[in-house]
Amino acid sequence: MATTAALTTTVPQYSARERAQAAAERAAIDASCRGPVLFFAASAIVWLLVGSVLAILASVKLHSPYLFTASPELTFGRVRMAHLQAMGYGWLSLATVAALLWQMCRLSRAELVYPKLLICAGVLWNIGEFLAVVGIIMGDATSVEWLEAPAYAPPFFIAAVGIVSAWTVAVFRRRREQHVYVTQWYILGAIFWFPWLYLVAQFMIFWSTAAGVVQPIVNWWFGHNVIGLWFTPVAVGTAYYLIPKIIGRPIHSYYLSIIGFWSLALFYSWAGMHHLIGGPIPGWLASASTVGSMMMLIPVLAVAINHHMTMRGHFHRLRYSPALRFTVFGAIAYTLVSVQGSFEALKDFSEVAHFTHYTVAHAHLGVYGFVTMIMFGVFYYMVPRLTGREWASSTLIRIHFWSVAVGISIYFAGLSIGGWWQGRMLNNPNVPFANIVNYTLPYLFSRSIAGTLMTAGHLAFTVLFVMNVAGWGQQRAGGPTFFVEPRSDTARSEQLVGGREA
Amino acid sequence: MDRGMVIFLGALLTFSSSWLGLIVFPFQQLGYEQPYQKSESDDPYPQPLQGIALAGKRVYQANGCMYCHSQQVRSERFGNWWDENGEERTGADIKRSWGLRRTVSRDYIYDNPTMLGTMRTGPDLSNIGVRNPSAMWHHTHLLNPRSANPWSIMPSFPYLYKREKIVGYRSDKALLLGREWTVQPGYRWRPSEQEWDELLRERGSTILAQVLANSPAETFDLTTAAGKKRLLDFWLTTPEEDYQIVPTTDGEALVAYLLALRKAEVPLPEAKE
Amino acid sequence: MTAVDIALFATVIGSIVLFGGAAVLALGWAFRSGQFSNFDRGAKSIFGPDEPIGEPTDSFPDMNDKRS
Repeated sequence: MATTAALTTTVPQYSARERAQAAAERAAIDASCRGPVLFFAASAIVWLLVGSVLAILASVKLHSPYLFTASPELTFGRVRMAHLQAMGYGWLSLATVAALLWQMCRLSRAELVYPKLLICAGVLWNIGEFLAVVGIIMGDATSVEWLEAPAYAPPFFIAAVGIVSAWTVAVFRRRREQHVYVTQWYILGAIFWFPWLYLVAQFMIFWSTAAGVVQPIVNWWFGHNVIGLWFTPVAVGTAYYLIPKIIGRPIHSYYLSIIGFWSLALFYSWAGMHHLIGGPIPGWLASASTVGSMMMLIPVLAVAINHHMTMRGHFHRLRYSPALRFTVFGAIAYTLVSVQGSFEALKDFSEVAHFTHYTVAHAHLGVYGFVTMIMFGVFYYMVPRLTGREWASSTLIRIHFWSVAVGISIYFAGLSIGGWWQGRMLNNPNVPFANIVNYTLPYLFSRSIAGTLMTAGHLAFTVLFVMNVAGWGQQRAGGPTFFVEPRSDTARSEQLVGGREA
Repeated sequence: MDRGMVIFLGALLTFSSSWLGLIVFPFQQLGYEQPYQKSESDDPYPQPLQGIALAGKRVYQANGCMYCHSQQVRSERFGNWWDENGEERTGADIKRSWGLRRTVSRDYIYDNPTMLGTMRTGPDLSNIGVRNPSAMWHHTHLLNPRSANPWSIMPSFPYLYKREKIVGYRSDKALLLGREWTVQPGYRWRPSEQEWDELLRERGSTILAQVLANSPAETFDLTTAAGKKRLLDFWLTTPEEDYQIVPTTDGEALVAYLLALRKAEVPLPEAKE
Repeated sequence: MTAVDIALFATVIGSIVLFGGAAVLALGWAFRSGQFSNFDRGAKSIFGPDEPIGEPTDSFPDMNDKRS
């Protein structure tokens, strides 16, 4: 199967000299990224661990309310807000930045310039993140969802995001590759949308006096779009780069990928108001968002068909490639969560799911099953190419994959079922509130188990990352491509010794 | 051909369409609403928060209350269920007496931030001040929600209260709770069997007299384990003699804020259905 | 209809015309300047001499590539 699929596209023959040149160029680009990208990646992992601990705490507190109950710092509300901040702006955003910087350099075939200033941006971001999480824990939270950080944290984020965006554009403008690949479109969109979103939300909610229901409207326009126009484009773009690159086959339909990009840009930004469905907002606003959500089926199906057709005949590679395994898991979760999200925006559906744990399950399928898994995927591909070392242990990679994959599945299944019936009972005034609380307890408990599994996976991942950066992995002997030592090409890698980065 | 510019313009265009549609238009439509006044003699509704209630809103924010409690009442036509006769009914929020009517944008003009909420792990609080106007109930519930609702999974908030030695006489603000809730604020205290035996040995007669003062009809056979346990159960429900629990400034402020939550009470013309 | 309503209505219609017009113009430009031709080249742009089409680039460290 694999061979036939590969043979349908004509493979140009390159001379050893051409190969060596291209390999040297790629190695130089990877080397230019090493410092800042590894810095962003490492700090992302630190926040992933912090966020995981906060997540388990918050989850356990919901079924065992006496845990640390006397401590104001560890009360459920603060821990939950700190968890979101640590994961959203720590892990997810910093991982996103690492992924987009490296891919932008590679796809533009341009080296990263002034890497030290980017490290400054990383430091600023981490200071902001630290202030946000500690500020919330100490009691300075704003209680505006996704924007809980106290007023002293956002200036750091804004400065850091500004530098990152400027650098990405600078790399893009220095590009040697004439063609702008679809991943670069997504990245360019994301680095433009996120600062705009963040500034508008900060300005309208905290700095000006937009009180009343305009605030939640701005809040959910931001909260939904920070996922849709910051995490999603970079993650989808990453899948568009990694899947073809790993299996060695161009994407099935480039045309579909471009349709997908523009329909995402247009429709995703209109979704979001369904978070306020039934609330005190004008009816037309929720309707407009429902239309936007339904239209999102177009880009989602475009991406789903495209990735599936690209993978067709290559699914056996999931056994061999850790990066592919995580990325394909993420891509499938993207299709699932988006189709679910489109239907969740419908009124009949939302009347039950709103205000329940069902929505929490949906959110985690999105930010974890989809975005986080793709970020793991890109880390598995990118880090060895930056450090020049292979991963130290395949077993740890397998532990990582299976514990997070099983973890998020339990998480999603438990809270979806529990949340759905919670919603049905909330809609029936004859069901006392006590019964609803008691009914959800086993499902909340299943979430704690799921969270523990996921955290175990994160620990395995952290160990792998630290070992790799500390030089524990086997050093690659050379050749342009890490890991793969195609049997027929052993002679080739010997020829290429001069071309590799020494 | 510079495709970067195309992507930039396209991203700008698509995004500003939603910015206009979802932000600028609603701001124009809702940003300038005025309070409602039926006649000259009536007080305008709503009223901005004042004084200690305003400080209480900060406590509500800082502790993330809105991550479990919404502040909106949905329409009589929202959501459905089937009653005993198999008939389809709607509007659970109002039937749960979470408000007299649905909330509309005018209810929120002075809210900042507007904590509509997205989760109902706990009940809605739009008009908790009307539904449950007892400050003392809120204090006992906040100190340990299990003291009011045994099934509750809400955190205790002992750090909004302080346990202090009574000097002179008990304060008016002291919480009216049995010692099981006050010995270890936030938790439910119960001595172990050995501890209870020791307590009985040391001050058994005082304890007995105190319990009998509260429920004179009872008799206790202290020679049996069952009798000792029964005395313990009664003793735990009596208040501590030397200590009292009083709200801190934050605790008082939070309850003042809760009592000021009186949305969906005054009728508004636009909320009619 | 109050003056505010009319103003709102006008802005909505105005922006629909503006955005719709811009979209139509952009589409027309895209067709004329050949943005919809030669997609194949774009899809292949991520491959190069050192990592050509048909060559997988990632596997577990303990696994030999089983590519046939």
